[in-house]
Amino acid sequence: MPGFLAMADASGLLEVLGQPFMQRALLGGLLTGALGGLLGSFAVLRQLSFFSDALGHSALLGISLGILLGVNPTLVLIPFAVLFALLVNQLVARSGLPADALLNIVYSTSLAFAVVALSLVETYRGGIQQLLFGDILGISWSDLTVIAVLLMGALIYLALSLRAQVLLTLNSDLAGAFGVGASRHRLAFIVLLAVVVAVSIKAVGVLLISAFVVIPACGGRLVSRHFPLYALVSATLGGGCALLGLLGSGLTNLPSGPCVVIVQFAGFLMALLVSQTTPRSPLTAGPAGLRIPGAGPVDQESR
Amino acid sequence: MTDHAPVLLVESLSVRRGEQLAVEQVSFQLARETDTALVGPNGAGKSSLVGALLGLHPRASGTVQILGHALGPSGELPRAVRSQIAYLPQNLALQGRFPLTVGEFVGFGVDLPGLSLAWLGNKRRTEAVQRALERTGCQDLAERRLSELSGGQLKRVLLAFCVVRPRQLLVLDEAQAGLDAPSSERFQELLLELRRQEGWTVLQVSHDLEMVRRSCDQVLCLNRRLRCSGAPDHALSPARLAELYGPNVVPYRHHHAGVPGHG
Repeated sequence: MPGFLAMADASGLLEVLGQPFMQRALLGGLLTGALGGLLGSFAVLRQLSFFSDALGHSALLGISLGILLGVNPTLVLIPFAVLFALLVNQLVARSGLPADALLNIVYSTSLAFAVVALSLVETYRGGIQQLLFGDILGISWSDLTVIAVLLMGALIYLALSLRAQVLLTLNSDLAGAFGVGASRHRLAFIVLLAVVVAVSIKAVGVLLISAFVVIPACGGRLVSRHFPLYALVSATLGGGCALLGLLGSGLTNLPSGPCVVIVQFAGFLMALLVSQTTPRSPLTAGPAGLRIPGAGPVDQESR
Repeated sequence: MTDHAPVLLVESLSVRRGEQLAVEQVSFQLARETDTALVGPNGAGKSSLVGALLGLHPRASGTVQILGHALGPSGELPRAVRSQIAYLPQNLALQGRFPLTVGEFVGFGVDLPGLSLAWLGNKRRTEAVQRALERTGCQDLAERRLSELSGGQLKRVLLAFCVVRPRQLLVLDEAQAGLDAPSSERFQELLLELRRQEGWTVLQVSHDLEMVRRSCDQVLCLNRRLRCSGAPDHALSPARLAELYGPNVVPYRHHHAGVPGHG
């Protein structure tokens, strides 16, 4: 039996859970995963999956600049991410080119500058793996506070603007005619997503950040019919998979970020299985959504 | 606003699309509880005009008044006036397994625009949705995902979204596009019935000239400028149509027995 599996017993688990850094990592994973799942549930529908991926890669430039300037990279990362979001938003609005092509241009260029910058910093070469795949075990209480505040802010904003976000996704003219400030909400969501990606990078790494946004949301979408339930399932899947992945990582001494993503993928496969085996899963009858009493069963009118 | 005041008053409206004027010096008005069709060839500026009327596209010049209130330069309207406008688009961007049911979508229309927990179920909202779905024949669709609907069902659900709370002005942008003839007929019948019940003033962009001839009170013929306007028999005469669409267009008239509004 491989050594890392032999460690996975009850005493090993208790020992791991007793470590303060592991407790912080578990809490950080739970919050980051839930935040990624919640934002992802909206981002995936708004077709912004690639945005989080591109931002993740571009963030490497922000981190590199922080290192070069001798400033804490986390402090540089948030303004850098917001600037990136504003730049892409302006480029999409003004150039008339497809968003995915523009994102590709911006993130490839950022990545190129980042690699050049990092090559100038001899002392940081050893830490490149932490940048790429995250170092959730190094998460501090101040990081946790920032993530918790961000989660609360995102929850409040998304709950209040859920109708606007969905109408914007369905048809921007319908939303505008209804009275939704389309450009205001679009920008607010992109900036929020950028900040969440920036804050999560420390834990997840630049290469895997998009998984935190995309995989739980796609799993949630497979098993949810009602929108509030979809957001809830996505956030729960995100948080739950992060927790399980980190526990697995702690017990087996395998890298934390990749472990979480592998568990997320397993969660996605389970959601796929549930959606295939039960056409109308019990999960789809959510309590939060607007339900019509006496509404008949789904009719079979031809499509 | 008095009962005789127009619901929509447009004066010398021009709209720019890129470098060119898509709409130039257009003026018209919609009287209360009338049904007006906006017709014209592709690229005539119909969608640009509708976008400018709703405050979605900026105006190059001219004024728009809705229910007596001037539309601001960036489409601003008092919330009470904005809440009186319903818009029915050609289609919705529905990707597969879109996690939103018909009941939830129609429920979004109940409350006035603005930040709110409009997705939470409560008795008033639930009853309003149920009533709107019944009036549009969609009561069996309440728990269906929007992405599972046929084209005809989706159009009826969009009408339910419009009828879930009282409005005065309904704007339809080629609402019947993509529907087969029977579905289009049923949609138009439902629209007429709801218009009479609700007292809606309707502006609909359409390519179905025969439907326009049967159902509408007024026609606006647009090809960048307003080429003609008036009652359908006047505005859709063969000579006017040739002027609007070119000399090779031959209007085909087919007759429908028992269609409401068919004179």
